[in-house]
Amino acid sequence: MLEEYDGRVRLIFKDRPLAMHTLARPAHEAARCAGAAGKYWPYHDRLFAAQPAFRRADLLAYAGELGLDRDAFAKCLDERRFASDVDRDIEQAQALGINSTPTFLINGQLVIGATSLEEFRSIIDKALRERR
Amino acid sequence: MGTAASYSRSVKTLSRCADRSSRVYYSSIWMVLTLLALTCVPGTSRALAQVELSWSPSMVKGPPGAPVTIIEFSDYQ
Repeated sequence: MLEEYDGRVRLIFKDRPLAMHTLARPAHEAARCAGAAGKYWPYHDRLFAAQPAFRRADLLAYAGELGLDRDAFAKCLDERRFASDVDRDIEQAQALGINSTPTFLINGQLVIGATSLEEFRSIIDKALRERR
Repeated sequence: MGTAASYSRSVKTLSRCADRSSRVYYSSIWMVLTLLALTCVPGTSRALAQVELSWSPSMVKGPPGAPVTIIEFSDYQ
């Protein structure tokens, strides 16, 4: 969809692992480790394709598939190097009252839950018209 | 990760239900956003909170000057 809008839309991903999803938290931290190595989005896509296989061995395997240094990745994961960054995202989401996923803010408009592409296009098109 | 910054410019009102009183501000550096989040669910049209958001540059797709910004809060599981 970003390609469809050709530079007119920017996407920012924020971590909001829910407490009931016990395997999610390490996956979010692992994605940030991948990001530090320049592979955030490929790892992000791999996680969604693999869910919910998020054991440590799985997370390391996905890093290997993407050509990341497995030892460095394991160190990052085991040290929980990005735990505080994930915490910050969770705190910001909670401050906004965002307690379910996915939740989107499209130029500030709250969109809760999985939304059809048609509805997304409609909201984006409206936001673009308002910016003219 | 960004830190708090001065807010250099207002961007626009957010939505129909925000027109009355709310604006969103982007910082001069694009890593920090102060956001007045609104709910437009019928019957609950009111401001929820004003929250300063930060994000990692690696978790962004699209140009900083894009007229539309989608912030996705999601859970891998």
